[in-house]
Amino acid sequence: MSNYPKFSYELTHFKKMLGQTCRRINKCLNACPRIEFKRNLWRSSLCQQKIDITLKYTDEANASKDNREPTLYEKFLQNPKSVPLITSRKMEYPNKYRPPRQAWLETLSTAEDHKLGMLDLHPDVFAVHPRLDILYHNLRWQEFYKKIDYNWTPSRGDLDVTHRKQMPQKRSGRARNRNRSSVMFRTGAKPLGPRGPRALFYMLPKHYRVQGLCTALSFKYAQNNLHIVDSLEIPTDDPEYIQDLVDTRFWGFSALFVDDTDYMPENITYALADYPHYNLLPVYGLNVRDMLKHETLILTLAALERIEQRLLYHSNRSRSSSKFSMESRYDQY
Amino acid sequence: MGIEKALRMVKDLPRVALNNIKNSPMDQKKPHNLRRGWGKNKTHGRGHKGQGQRMTLPKLGFETGQKPFYQLMPQEKYYEGHHLKRQYPPLSLLKLQRMIDLGCVDPNEVIDITSICMTGHYNLNVHQRHYGVNLTEDGAEKFATPIIIEVQWASELTIATIEKLGGVIMTRFYDPLSLIALKDPEMYFKTGKPIPKCKLPPTDAVEYYSDPKNRGYLADPDKIAEERVALSQKYGYELPDLSQSDKLSLMLKRKDPRQIFFGLQPGWIVNLVDKKILKPKAEYLQEYYNS
Repeated sequence: MSNYPKFSYELTHFKKMLGQTCRRINKCLNACPRIEFKRNLWRSSLCQQKIDITLKYTDEANASKDNREPTLYEKFLQNPKSVPLITSRKMEYPNKYRPPRQAWLETLSTAEDHKLGMLDLHPDVFAVHPRLDILYHNLRWQEFYKKIDYNWTPSRGDLDVTHRKQMPQKRSGRARNRNRSSVMFRTGAKPLGPRGPRALFYMLPKHYRVQGLCTALSFKYAQNNLHIVDSLEIPTDDPEYIQDLVDTRFWGFSALFVDDTDYMPENITYALADYPHYNLLPVYGLNVRDMLKHETLILTLAALERIEQRLLYHSNRSRSSSKFSMESRYDQY
Repeated sequence: MGIEKALRMVKDLPRVALNNIKNSPMDQKKPHNLRRGWGKNKTHGRGHKGQGQRMTLPKLGFETGQKPFYQLMPQEKYYEGHHLKRQYPPLSLLKLQRMIDLGCVDPNEVIDITSICMTGHYNLNVHQRHYGVNLTEDGAEKFATPIIIEVQWASELTIATIEKLGGVIMTRFYDPLSLIALKDPEMYFKTGKPIPKCKLPPTDAVEYYSDPKNRGYLADPDKIAEERVALSQKYGYELPDLSQSDKLSLMLKRKDPRQIFFGLQPGWIVNLVDKKILKPKAEYLQEYYNS
């Protein structure tokens, strides 16, 4: 079906051409303007973030390799004492009652496991109450907000049937009736069946989405599936290097590498190109489904800072002042 | 169950993945009952004919044309906001004199709202917006004891009668949470809550408590002294010299605007069983209670 119907009269003609049974109408353009509008808002809010991040990184990437700041591991190799053994991080919105969690700072520069230091992780992001129902809500939302139900059954008016009375009113021994489109007839219409493209779009409240990310991160940390790495720079673009690295560290079958920017280092992009189970992701794409789908989660230091900053900002913010402004209505999207 | 305990449990459980996660049973909604089960055929629980079966029942509260109960009573402007207004249940000077005579109240101590409530002859219910004692003039000619009293509302004549006899009257505001502590201190200390910090009066009461004519606690003491003289001249009595009296130290006893009990500071927890007082150590608590 190359020429999809665009206007209502074309649609009815198209339906008649196909027949009268229940069927799907694939890719009916302008069928659901509401979902398209909201999708565009969602994309545009993310697009702006992407543009800012890529612009920032391209300027840095254009600089020559000699001017690039050496990674923590390179500094460690030059002089082990220059990189401190335990690094403390300054945390926003410190929690008075619960201590911060601690994690090793590792590196991808060698296949063997070298620890460069130890980091503090905020308890309100990495040690949140392990609520499975919040994860469930987030997963369901991720699945359903994009869904469009294309099922459609004809109602009485849509059936191509004569309006002739089927049999005389009396003396047939049968129940009285009119035309063949009624419910009682075998070939009649279904009264309240699915009617056309129906969007199952809904927005999960912001608190649930923020807490979903915090809960997923807490689960990953609690079950030893979270690793923090100085950066995603690797010495070679050989796929076997990554395989060796993951095997020696027992990181499992699948891994998700998260960086601050969406412009990834060259070597790692080539190395992971053939592996569908090892994936690269920028921070703005972080979601509950991907975190749970992959067995381990690897964050860079910059990504960790960004994630904590955003999640703590939204957890500690009340929107009562801007509740009824036009900005805030679509800011959630 | 605590968060830490839950996280420790999670460590030993299998890895949380897409095939492991279910919704909480409390959140799972029951499906709409279609009433197709055994015994629900034919009329589907609706009976025979009429509005019940035909879904034409009238709206809730409808009385077939008669003015319904919820529309019978008209609104009256005079009681607008009655549920928000402050109330000061009255205590007459006659009753106060009777309480002194019967020994319910000790005139040799400062008479506080606590001592008045503890007599059992005065009803103060904080949850009904009672904000304190209103000392009325009824029995002013029979009042004959010099007392030191702290009330929440007093008229000019009341102030005059007490000062004529060589007493001292002060008006003082307490917020509802402080009143709960003041009404029955023993019960309050048993709850284990710290002594509350008394809040300042609301905007429509600030003027009253800053006025020296009302002997308000926020007023200038020098101006109060002037007003004492003025009042004595107005009502025509000789103002007694309080500096010669025995109870001078009691008369000069004043509470801080944030203080509720004499000798106790806000933030302290009083342990009656072990007979100890616990004071806050943390800086943020000390900062809050000292502000």
